[in-house]
Amino acid sequence: MRAKGKVVELVTGIAAQDEIEDLLARIAMGDRKSFRELYSRTSPKLFGICLRVLRDRAEAEEALQDVYLRIWDKADLYRANGYSPMTWLITIARNISVDHRRRTKLPDSDRLDAAEQLADETPGPETLTIMRDAADQLRQCLQELPPDRASMVQSAYLDGETYSDLAKATGVNLNTVRTWLRRSLMQLRECLSR
Amino acid sequence: MTGPDDQTGGMSPDLPGGDTALSAEYVLGLLSEGEVRAFEGRLSAEPDLQAEVVYWAEHFADITDTVPDVTPPKAVLRQIEIRAFGDTRKPLWRQLVPYALGALAAAAIAFAVNLGGLLDTAPERPHLYADLVAGDRGLELLAHYAPGSETLMVRRDVGELPADRSLQIWIYPASGAAPIPMGPLAPDQLTSIPVPDALRSQFPGATVAISEELADAAPGVGPTGPVLARGVLTPR
Repeated sequence: MRAKGKVVELVTGIAAQDEIEDLLARIAMGDRKSFRELYSRTSPKLFGICLRVLRDRAEAEEALQDVYLRIWDKADLYRANGYSPMTWLITIARNISVDHRRRTKLPDSDRLDAAEQLADETPGPETLTIMRDAADQLRQCLQELPPDRASMVQSAYLDGETYSDLAKATGVNLNTVRTWLRRSLMQLRECLSR
Repeated sequence: MTGPDDQTGGMSPDLPGGDTALSAEYVLGLLSEGEVRAFEGRLSAEPDLQAEVVYWAEHFADITDTVPDVTPPKAVLRQIEIRAFGDTRKPLWRQLVPYALGALAAAAIAFAVNLGGLLDTAPERPHLYADLVAGDRGLELLAHYAPGSETLMVRRDVGELPADRSLQIWIYPASGAAPIPMGPLAPDQLTSIPVPDALRSQFPGATVAISEELADAAPGVGPTGPVLARGVLTPR
Protein backbone atom coordinates (compact mmCIF):
# COMPACT_ATOMS: atom_id res chain seq x y z
CA MET A 1 0.00 0.00 0.00
CA ARG A 2 2.85 2.32 0.77
CA ALA A 3 3.98 2.05 -2.83
CA LYS A 4 0.87 3.94 -3.88
CA GLY A 5 2.23 7.06 -2.26
CA LYS A 6 0.97 9.24 0.49
CA VAL A 7 -1.49 11.37 -1.45
CA VAL A 8 -3.32 8.43 -2.96
CA GLU A 9 -3.32 6.71 0.39
CA LEU A 10 -4.82 9.74 2.06
CA VAL A 11 -7.58 9.89 -0.52
CA THR A 12 -8.38 6.19 -0.20
CA GLY A 13 -8.33 6.71 3.53
CA ILE A 14 -10.96 9.43 3.41
CA ALA A 15 -13.10 7.58 0.86
CA ALA A 16 -12.87 4.44 2.96
CA GLN A 17 -13.93 6.36 6.08
CA ASP A 18 -16.99 7.66 4.24
CA GLU A 19 -17.84 4.16 3.10
CA ILE A 20 -17.49 2.78 6.61
CA GLU A 21 -19.77 5.54 7.85
CA ASP A 22 -22.30 4.62 5.20
CA LEU A 23 -22.11 0.95 6.18
CA LEU A 24 -22.68 1.86 9.83
CA ALA A 25 -25.79 3.84 8.88
CA ARG A 26 -27.16 0.80 7.03
CA ILE A 27 -26.25 -1.54 9.88
CA ALA A 28 -28.17 0.74 12.22
CA MET A 29 -31.20 -0.12 10.08
CA GLY A 30 -30.56 -3.83 10.53
CA ASP A 31 -28.96 -4.42 7.11
CA ARG A 32 -27.15 -7.74 7.39
CA LYS A 33 -25.42 -7.47 4.04
CA SER A 34 -23.77 -4.24 5.14
CA PHE A 35 -22.79 -5.88 8.40
CA ARG A 36 -20.98 -8.65 6.50
CA GLU A 37 -19.35 -6.07 4.27
CA LEU A 38 -18.16 -4.08 7.27
CA TYR A 39 -16.84 -7.29 8.79
CA SER A 40 -14.90 -8.25 5.70
CA ARG A 41 -13.36 -4.80 5.47
CA THR A 42 -12.55 -4.15 9.10
CA SER A 43 -12.15 -7.50 10.85
CA PRO A 44 -8.42 -7.97 10.03
CA LYS A 45 -7.71 -4.60 11.64
CA LEU A 46 -9.93 -5.22 14.67
CA PHE A 47 -8.82 -8.84 15.12
CA GLY A 48 -5.21 -7.61 15.00
CA ILE A 49 -6.07 -5.27 17.90
CA CYS A 50 -7.85 -8.00 19.90
CA LEU A 51 -4.88 -10.29 19.40
CA ARG A 52 -2.39 -7.59 20.32
CA VAL A 53 -4.22 -6.73 23.55
CA LEU A 54 -5.07 -10.28 24.58
CA ARG A 55 -2.12 -12.14 23.04
CA ASP A 56 -4.17 -15.32 23.01
CA ARG A 57 -5.99 -16.56 19.92
CA ALA A 58 -9.01 -18.13 21.62
CA GLU A 59 -9.62 -15.07 23.78
CA ALA A 60 -9.10 -12.78 20.81
CA GLU A 61 -11.68 -14.69 18.77
CA GLU A 62 -14.16 -14.45 21.62
CA ALA A 63 -13.47 -10.75 22.04
CA LEU A 64 -13.88 -10.19 18.30
CA GLN A 65 -17.33 -11.76 18.47
CA ASP A 66 -18.28 -9.38 21.26
CA VAL A 67 -16.86 -6.46 19.27
CA TYR A 68 -19.04 -7.12 16.22
CA LEU A 69 -22.09 -7.83 18.36
CA ARG A 70 -21.57 -4.46 20.02
CA ILE A 71 -21.27 -2.86 16.58
CA TRP A 72 -24.44 -4.60 15.42
CA ASP A 73 -26.32 -3.50 18.53
CA LYS A 74 -25.01 0.04 18.81
CA ALA A 75 -24.47 1.16 15.20
CA ASP A 76 -27.45 3.50 15.52
CA LEU A 77 -25.57 5.43 18.19
CA TYR A 78 -22.45 5.91 16.12
CA ARG A 79 -23.43 9.03 14.22
CA ALA A 80 -24.05 11.18 17.23
CA ASN A 81 -20.84 10.75 19.12
CA GLY A 82 -18.39 12.76 17.05
CA TYR A 83 -15.85 10.00 16.41
CA SER A 84 -14.51 9.18 13.01
CA PRO A 85 -15.87 5.74 12.10
CA MET A 86 -12.58 3.87 12.34
CA THR A 87 -11.85 5.43 15.73
CA TRP A 88 -15.25 4.29 16.94
CA LEU A 89 -14.58 0.74 15.77
CA ILE A 90 -11.02 0.68 17.09
CA THR A 91 -12.14 2.06 20.46
CA ILE A 92 -14.79 -0.66 20.78
CA ALA A 93 -12.26 -3.38 19.87
CA ARG A 94 -9.67 -2.03 22.26
CA ASN A 95 -12.08 -1.52 25.17
CA ILE A 96 -13.71 -4.94 24.86
CA SER A 97 -10.30 -6.61 24.57
CA VAL A 98 -8.97 -4.80 27.64
CA ASP A 99 -12.12 -5.76 29.50
CA HIS A 100 -11.59 -9.42 28.58
CA ARG A 101 -7.94 -9.26 29.54
CA ARG A 102 -8.67 -7.81 32.96
CA ARG A 103 -11.37 -10.39 33.59
CA THR A 104 -9.49 -13.52 32.53
CA LYS A 105 -6.16 -12.92 34.24
CA LEU A 106 -4.30 -15.42 32.07
CA PRO A 107 -0.66 -15.22 33.23
CA ASP A 108 1.49 -13.13 30.90
CA SER A 109 3.82 -16.08 30.42
CA ASP A 110 0.96 -17.97 28.75
CA ARG A 111 0.32 -15.20 26.27
CA LEU A 112 1.84 -15.03 22.81
CA ASP A 113 4.93 -13.04 21.92
CA ALA A 114 4.57 -10.43 19.21
CA ALA A 115 6.46 -12.74 16.84
CA GLU A 116 3.90 -15.51 17.32
CA GLN A 117 0.94 -13.44 16.30
CA LEU A 118 0.78 -14.58 12.68
CA ALA A 119 0.19 -11.25 11.03
CA ASP A 120 -1.13 -11.26 7.49
CA GLU A 121 1.81 -11.17 5.09
CA THR A 122 0.41 -8.39 2.96
CA PRO A 123 -2.72 -6.41 3.66
CA GLY A 124 -5.41 -7.35 1.12
CA PRO A 125 -7.01 -4.74 -1.10
CA GLU A 126 -10.02 -4.63 1.20
CA THR A 127 -8.00 -3.80 4.27
CA LEU A 128 -8.78 -0.31 5.33
CA THR A 129 -5.94 2.15 5.34
CA ILE A 130 -6.27 4.64 8.10
CA MET A 131 -4.71 7.97 7.52
CA ARG A 132 -1.09 7.56 8.31
CA ASP A 133 -0.10 11.18 8.71
CA ALA A 134 -2.11 11.40 11.92
CA ALA A 135 -0.39 8.27 13.21
CA ASP A 136 2.99 9.76 12.32
CA GLN A 137 2.11 12.85 14.34
CA LEU A 138 1.27 10.77 17.40
CA ARG A 139 4.47 8.77 17.03
CA GLN A 140 6.55 11.94 16.83
CA CYS A 141 4.85 13.46 19.85
CA LEU A 142 5.30 10.28 21.89
CA GLN A 143 8.97 10.41 20.98
CA GLU A 144 9.23 13.82 22.59
CA LEU A 145 8.22 12.32 25.95
CA PRO A 146 10.69 10.60 28.24
CA PRO A 147 10.83 7.03 26.84
CA ASP A 148 9.37 5.41 29.97
CA ARG A 149 6.36 7.76 29.90
CA ALA A 150 5.70 7.07 26.23
CA SER A 151 5.74 3.37 26.91
CA MET A 152 3.34 3.86 29.84
CA VAL A 153 0.83 5.45 27.48
CA GLN A 154 1.25 2.61 25.01
CA SER A 155 0.96 -0.14 27.57
CA ALA A 156 -2.10 1.47 29.13
CA TYR A 157 -3.74 1.50 25.70
CA LEU A 158 -2.52 -1.80 24.27
CA ASP A 159 -2.02 -3.94 27.39
CA GLY A 160 -4.74 -2.46 29.56
CA GLU A 161 -2.22 -1.66 32.29
CA THR A 162 -3.64 0.18 35.27
CA TYR A 163 -1.90 2.73 37.47
CA SER A 164 -1.30 -0.03 39.95
CA ASP A 165 0.41 -2.16 37.23
CA LEU A 166 2.48 0.83 36.15
CA ALA A 167 3.46 1.57 39.74
CA LYS A 168 4.58 -2.03 40.24
CA ALA A 169 6.57 -2.02 37.01
CA THR A 170 8.36 1.22 37.82
CA GLY A 171 8.76 0.65 41.56
CA VAL A 172 7.43 4.05 42.55
CA ASN A 173 4.20 4.78 44.32
CA LEU A 174 0.94 5.09 42.51
CA ASN A 175 0.37 8.80 43.04
CA THR A 176 3.84 9.57 41.76
CA VAL A 177 3.23 7.52 38.62
CA ARG A 178 -0.06 9.27 38.15
CA THR A 179 1.47 12.71 38.52
CA TRP A 180 4.22 11.81 36.04
CA LEU A 181 1.81 10.44 33.51
CA ARG A 182 -0.62 13.34 33.75
CA ARG A 183 2.23 15.79 33.15
CA SER A 184 3.26 13.75 30.16
CA LEU A 185 -0.29 13.70 28.84
CA MET A 186 -0.35 17.51 28.99
CA GLN A 187 2.93 17.61 27.14
CA LEU A 188 1.52 15.20 24.57
CA ARG A 189 -1.56 17.38 24.16
CA GLU A 190 0.58 20.44 23.64
CA CYS A 191 2.65 18.68 20.97
CA LEU A 192 -0.40 17.28 19.16
CA SER A 193 -2.04 20.68 18.94
CA ARG A 194 0.98 22.34 17.34
CA MET B 1 -1.47 2.86 50.09
CA THR B 2 -4.00 5.36 48.92
CA GLY B 3 -4.62 5.78 45.26
CA PRO B 4 -7.24 6.75 42.76
CA ASP B 5 -9.52 4.06 44.14
CA ASP B 6 -11.34 6.33 46.51
CA GLN B 7 -15.06 5.94 46.95
CA THR B 8 -16.14 9.41 45.95
CA GLY B 9 -14.70 9.35 42.48
CA GLY B 10 -13.11 12.67 43.22
CA MET B 11 -9.55 13.48 42.35
CA SER B 12 -6.76 14.76 44.49
CA PRO B 13 -6.68 18.50 43.87
CA ASP B 14 -2.90 18.53 43.56
CA LEU B 15 -2.80 16.34 40.44
CA PRO B 16 -1.70 18.29 37.36
CA GLY B 17 -3.54 18.46 34.07
CA GLY B 18 -7.18 19.09 35.02
CA ASP B 19 -9.92 17.83 32.74
CA THR B 20 -7.60 17.40 29.78
CA ALA B 21 -5.48 14.84 31.58
CA LEU B 22 -8.56 13.35 33.21
CA SER B 23 -10.17 12.77 29.79
CA ALA B 24 -7.00 11.10 28.54
CA GLU B 25 -6.93 8.86 31.60
CA TYR B 26 -10.56 7.98 30.94
CA VAL B 27 -9.83 6.97 27.34
CA LEU B 28 -6.77 4.98 28.44
CA GLY B 29 -8.87 3.16 31.03
CA LEU B 30 -6.76 4.40 33.95
CA LEU B 31 -9.56 5.74 36.14
CA SER B 32 -10.97 3.82 39.08
CA GLU B 33 -14.58 2.71 38.96
CA GLY B 34 -15.68 5.57 41.16
CA GLU B 35 -13.85 8.07 39.00
CA VAL B 36 -15.37 6.60 35.84
CA ARG B 37 -18.85 6.96 37.30
CA ALA B 38 -18.23 10.55 38.31
CA PHE B 39 -16.68 11.32 34.94
CA GLU B 40 -19.51 9.77 32.95
CA GLY B 41 -21.99 11.61 35.11
CA ARG B 42 -20.48 14.86 33.86
CA LEU B 43 -20.08 13.83 30.22
CA SER B 44 -23.63 14.12 29.00
CA ALA B 45 -23.93 17.66 30.34
CA GLU B 46 -20.50 18.96 29.32
CA PRO B 47 -19.83 19.22 25.58
CA ASP B 48 -16.27 20.44 26.19
CA LEU B 49 -15.52 17.30 28.13
CA GLN B 50 -17.06 15.19 25.34
CA ALA B 51 -14.82 16.96 22.86
CA GLU B 52 -11.77 16.18 25.00
CA VAL B 53 -12.71 12.52 25.09
CA VAL B 54 -13.18 12.38 21.32
CA TYR B 55 -9.89 14.23 20.85
CA TRP B 56 -7.95 11.69 22.88
CA ALA B 57 -9.82 8.69 21.48
CA GLU B 58 -8.92 9.82 17.95
CA HIS B 59 -5.25 10.23 18.79
CA PHE B 60 -4.86 7.13 20.91
CA ALA B 61 -6.56 5.04 18.23
CA ASP B 62 -3.50 5.85 16.12
CA ILE B 63 -1.43 3.74 18.51
CA THR B 64 -2.99 0.75 16.74
CA ASP B 65 -1.49 1.87 13.44
CA THR B 66 1.56 -0.30 14.07
CA VAL B 67 -0.52 -3.32 15.09
CA PRO B 68 -0.48 -5.81 12.22
CA ASP B 69 -3.74 -6.88 10.58
CA VAL B 70 -4.69 -10.49 11.15
CA THR B 71 -7.52 -12.18 9.25
CA PRO B 72 -9.77 -13.98 11.74
CA PRO B 73 -10.75 -17.64 11.12
CA LYS B 74 -13.90 -18.05 9.01
CA ALA B 75 -15.85 -19.67 11.84
CA VAL B 76 -15.82 -16.43 13.83
CA LEU B 77 -18.15 -14.62 11.44
CA ARG B 78 -20.54 -17.57 11.52
CA GLN B 79 -20.64 -17.44 15.32
CA ILE B 80 -21.21 -13.69 15.25
CA GLU B 81 -24.08 -14.06 12.82
CA ILE B 82 -25.71 -16.75 14.93
CA ARG B 83 -25.47 -14.51 17.95
CA ALA B 84 -26.41 -11.27 16.18
CA PHE B 85 -29.18 -12.49 13.90
CA GLY B 86 -30.57 -15.12 16.25
CA ASP B 87 -33.63 -12.96 16.68
CA THR B 88 -34.77 -12.22 13.15
CA ARG B 89 -37.05 -9.40 14.15
CA LYS B 90 -35.49 -6.03 14.68
CA PRO B 91 -36.72 -4.49 17.91
CA LEU B 92 -38.94 -1.49 17.34
CA TRP B 93 -36.79 0.83 19.40
CA ARG B 94 -33.88 0.28 17.05
CA GLN B 95 -35.94 1.39 14.11
CA LEU B 96 -37.18 4.47 15.86
CA VAL B 97 -34.21 5.73 17.84
CA PRO B 98 -32.32 7.41 14.98
CA TYR B 99 -35.39 9.40 14.00
CA ALA B 100 -37.17 9.98 17.24
CA LEU B 101 -34.30 11.58 19.05
CA GLY B 102 -32.73 14.90 18.30
CA ALA B 103 -29.00 14.98 17.80
CA LEU B 104 -28.44 16.34 21.26
CA ALA B 105 -30.37 13.66 23.07
CA ALA B 106 -28.79 11.03 20.86
CA ALA B 107 -25.37 12.40 21.70
CA ALA B 108 -26.06 12.10 25.38
CA ILE B 109 -27.17 8.51 24.99
CA ALA B 110 -24.26 7.72 22.71
CA PHE B 111 -21.83 8.88 25.33
CA ALA B 112 -23.54 7.03 28.08
CA VAL B 113 -23.62 3.84 26.05
CA ASN B 114 -20.47 3.94 23.97
CA LEU B 115 -18.02 5.48 26.33
CA GLY B 116 -19.45 3.79 29.34
CA GLY B 117 -19.45 0.54 27.42
CA LEU B 118 -17.28 -1.25 29.92
CA LEU B 119 -19.57 -0.46 32.75
CA ASP B 120 -23.02 -1.10 31.41
CA THR B 121 -25.34 -0.50 34.32
CA ALA B 122 -28.34 -2.45 33.18
CA PRO B 123 -31.32 -2.69 35.50
CA GLU B 124 -31.38 -5.73 37.71
CA ARG B 125 -32.72 -8.80 35.93
CA PRO B 126 -34.34 -11.82 37.49
CA HIS B 127 -32.93 -15.30 37.70
CA LEU B 128 -34.60 -17.59 35.17
CA TYR B 129 -35.31 -21.28 35.60
CA ALA B 130 -36.57 -24.05 33.35
CA ASP B 131 -37.45 -27.59 34.32
CA LEU B 132 -36.37 -29.76 31.45
CA VAL B 133 -38.53 -32.83 31.43
CA ALA B 134 -38.18 -35.74 29.05
CA GLY B 135 -41.20 -37.64 27.86
CA ASP B 136 -40.26 -41.26 28.35
CA ARG B 137 -36.88 -41.53 30.06
CA GLY B 138 -37.86 -40.18 33.45
CA LEU B 139 -35.17 -37.62 32.93
CA GLU B 140 -35.28 -34.29 34.75
CA LEU B 141 -32.84 -31.46 34.41
CA LEU B 142 -32.85 -27.94 35.71
CA ALA B 143 -31.62 -25.01 33.64
CA HIS B 144 -30.82 -21.85 35.57
CA TYR B 145 -29.76 -18.51 34.16
CA ALA B 146 -27.95 -16.36 36.73
CA PRO B 147 -27.89 -12.71 35.59
CA GLY B 148 -25.20 -11.74 38.13
CA SER B 149 -22.60 -14.06 36.69
CA GLU B 150 -24.24 -14.06 33.24
CA THR B 151 -24.13 -17.81 33.18
CA LEU B 152 -26.50 -20.51 32.01
CA MET B 153 -26.22 -23.62 34.16
CA VAL B 154 -27.75 -27.01 33.48
CA ARG B 155 -27.77 -29.86 35.94
CA ARG B 156 -29.29 -33.34 35.90
CA ASP B 157 -31.60 -34.06 38.81
CA VAL B 158 -33.26 -37.36 38.02
CA GLY B 159 -32.73 -40.14 35.48
CA GLU B 160 -29.90 -41.16 33.22
CA LEU B 161 -28.59 -39.49 30.12
CA PRO B 162 -27.84 -41.73 27.16
CA ALA B 163 -24.17 -42.75 27.43
CA ASP B 164 -21.59 -42.03 24.74
CA ARG B 165 -23.77 -39.53 22.95
CA SER B 166 -23.05 -35.97 22.03
CA LEU B 167 -25.60 -33.83 23.87
CA GLN B 168 -26.15 -30.23 22.92
CA ILE B 169 -27.91 -27.39 24.74
CA TRP B 170 -30.10 -25.11 22.60
CA ILE B 171 -31.99 -21.90 23.16
CA TYR B 172 -35.13 -21.36 21.13
CA PRO B 173 -35.96 -17.63 21.44
CA ALA B 174 -39.57 -16.82 22.26
CA SER B 175 -39.67 -14.74 19.07
CA GLY B 176 -39.60 -17.93 17.03
CA ALA B 177 -36.15 -17.13 15.64
CA ALA B 178 -33.71 -19.89 14.74
CA PRO B 179 -32.39 -21.98 17.65
CA ILE B 180 -29.06 -20.93 19.12
CA PRO B 181 -26.51 -23.61 20.02
CA MET B 182 -25.19 -22.95 23.54
CA GLY B 183 -22.65 -25.74 23.77
CA PRO B 184 -22.35 -29.36 24.89
CA LEU B 185 -23.99 -30.73 28.02
CA ALA B 186 -21.55 -32.33 30.46
CA PRO B 187 -23.29 -35.60 31.41
CA ASP B 188 -21.92 -36.07 34.94
CA GLN B 189 -21.52 -32.60 36.31
CA LEU B 190 -22.96 -29.11 36.31
CA THR B 191 -22.64 -27.50 32.91
CA SER B 192 -21.89 -23.76 33.09
CA ILE B 193 -21.98 -21.64 29.98
CA PRO B 194 -21.15 -17.94 29.91
CA VAL B 195 -23.92 -16.05 28.12
CA PRO B 196 -22.85 -13.36 25.66
CA ASP B 197 -24.35 -9.87 26.01
CA ALA B 198 -26.36 -10.07 22.83
CA LEU B 199 -28.16 -13.23 23.87
CA ARG B 200 -29.35 -12.23 27.31
CA SER B 201 -32.33 -10.26 26.10
CA GLN B 202 -33.58 -13.38 24.30
CA PHE B 203 -33.61 -15.53 27.40
CA PRO B 204 -36.89 -14.65 29.13
CA GLY B 205 -39.56 -16.96 27.76
CA ALA B 206 -37.09 -18.86 25.60
CA THR B 207 -37.18 -22.65 25.45
CA VAL B 208 -34.13 -24.57 26.59
CA ALA B 209 -33.73 -27.90 24.82
CA ILE B 210 -31.27 -30.75 25.09
CA SER B 211 -30.66 -32.62 21.87
CA GLU B 212 -28.81 -35.78 21.02
CA GLU B 213 -26.57 -34.82 18.10
CA LEU B 214 -25.90 -37.31 15.35
CA ALA B 215 -22.20 -37.96 14.92
CA ASP B 216 -21.99 -37.54 11.16
CA ALA B 217 -24.71 -35.02 10.52
CA ALA B 218 -23.84 -31.88 8.60
CA PRO B 219 -24.08 -28.78 10.76
CA GLY B 220 -27.33 -27.01 10.11
CA VAL B 221 -29.72 -24.57 11.72
CA GLY B 222 -30.78 -26.52 14.77
CA PRO B 223 -30.42 -29.97 16.31
CA THR B 224 -29.36 -32.80 14.02
CA GLY B 225 -30.91 -35.46 16.25
CA PRO B 226 -33.85 -35.96 18.61
CA VAL B 227 -34.64 -33.49 21.40
CA LEU B 228 -34.50 -35.33 24.75
CA ALA B 229 -35.88 -32.70 27.09
CA ARG B 230 -37.14 -29.17 26.98
CA GLY B 231 -38.57 -26.42 29.15
CA VAL B 232 -39.33 -22.69 29.17
CA LEU B 233 -37.14 -20.18 31.03
CA THR B 234 -39.18 -18.12 33.48
CA PRO B 235 -38.53 -16.24 36.73
CA ARG B 236 -39.52 -17.97 40.00
